Amino acid sequence: MAIRGELYEWDITGIDINTINDLPTAGQEYSIFSTEFGSAIEQTALVSEGDFIVINRISCKEGVSPNEYELDGTTLTKWNPNMFIQVVINTTGYYRDPQNLYSAGISGMASPYPQTVYRTKYYDLFPPIYVLPEQTWDVRFTLFNDIRGAYADGLFTDVANNLTIASVFVDYTLYDGTDAMLARKLLSLGVPVTVDSVQWLRQLILKNRGLDTETFDFYLKAVREIAKKRKEQRKLQGVATISDYEP
Amino acid sequence: MAVRRQAYEWRNVMPIGQKVSLNNHPVLKPNQVHTIALSKDIPIDIFVGNIGNTLDIPAELKAFQYIVLDAVAVSHPTIHVQIYVNTTRYFENPDGTVSKGISGNIVPFPNGRNGILNYDYKNGLNPPLYIAPMQTWGVEITPLEDIPEYTGNDVTDSNIAFCFVKYLLIDGVDALVAKALIDAGWELSVENIQKYKEIILKNHILAATSELPPTISRRKRRV
Repeated sequence: MAIRGELYEWDITGIDINTINDLPTAGQEYSIFSTEFGSAIEQTALVSEGDFIVINRISCKEGVSPNEYELDGTTLTKWNPNMFIQVVINTTGYYRDPQNLYSAGISGMASPYPQTVYRTKYYDLFPPIYVLPEQTWDVRFTLFNDIRGAYADGLFTDVANNLTIASVFVDYTLYDGTDAMLARKLLSLGVPVTVDSVQWLRQLILKNRGLDTETFDFYLKAVREIAKKRKEQRKLQGVATISDYEP
Repeated sequence: MAVRRQAYEWRNVMPIGQKVSLNNHPVLKPNQVHTIALSKDIPIDIFVGNIGNTLDIPAELKAFQYIVLDAVAVSHPTIHVQIYVNTTRYFENPDGTVSKGISGNIVPFPNGRNGILNYDYKNGLNPPLYIAPMQTWGVEITPLEDIPEYTGNDVTDSNIAFCFVKYLLIDGVDALVAKALIDAGWELSVENIQKYKEIILKNHILAATSELPPTISRRKRRV
């Protein structure tokens, strides 16, 4: 399973809410991977040395107005999160505002999840984001509607179990093993990393060398040639050591 | 991260008593929000218009940045959106005079608001608008009729005014590639930037692996 189209979904639903501490603070940024809220995993996403990741799409729940809430008695049954999402690679934020400062990112109005017949995305993440081996990547959300404050003010006392307060969706392609090596090779050649281009490079390599029984001899000869050239170079540059003069 | 797909979203919804929120969206509380009234025929700059969420300074590109602006969207349907670069407006009337731009009927935001989907301008600006280093750019909205202030339960997603702009930010080394592409008359797109880099790398690899003439390769190093 060397190339995999992965989908990750994070959400906070009514089931996750027991106390006020289970609700995120408005205006503050949280990771969807390592947050204490909702259905998070417990670790940030580190791309291991044998992997390569391409993030294709990010989306989150739509809705802006905090007045569009609905109650069933004192139970909250509808809520607009007014949320934004940002992608962070190591310490660098992907989204900036037009004055070149770190921004909250893209909203659920521009890139809604889930999309419906009446609400489709305006924003496409193209070109996609490459996350290289040994880099950490994160998707961070910010809620701008103060659900925690509303709970503290007594607007509601309970949240319906089936209510999704906020959700984030990430679509990425995971290349691992030899495919990750091919992805890196493509990147160093300036070729876009896609499933098609990686498969194309694999086919090309197999056609050229992989099925040739004399592959080892070819590389041995090539390595010897390179070593010989380097030795000659060092002699010409006057930096040769005694081993360069040995036969 | 040298070529990045960026977006900026402006709204006129604010906490009660507040008209502007600098550099970020405001935190909103239920029953404590209102929308800012917009006057007929008065243009508002979404970056520095002092209404809604705005910025400290106008959007100006640094010496190593290019922008390819390819989409704008707006709502209500009666609001028009116009783009400017330095002192020039993008949309014009057939008689050459500056227009108020395109309306929320053509480019509704969010897509599907009030049942209107963007079928009429779905590919955005074609060709896209290039903004060069050191140029100042911005987006203006102009309501064709007064949009009242909404308060209380009337502050719904269908009453909030929005403006959305989507662009490709090219900076660093890729800005040099962008300049080379423009100089060569190529279209400035993600695909062409990648293609150009591919060609450069291919040439360098060929140059590195090709044999040098013996007069050069065997020449003694002078120190």
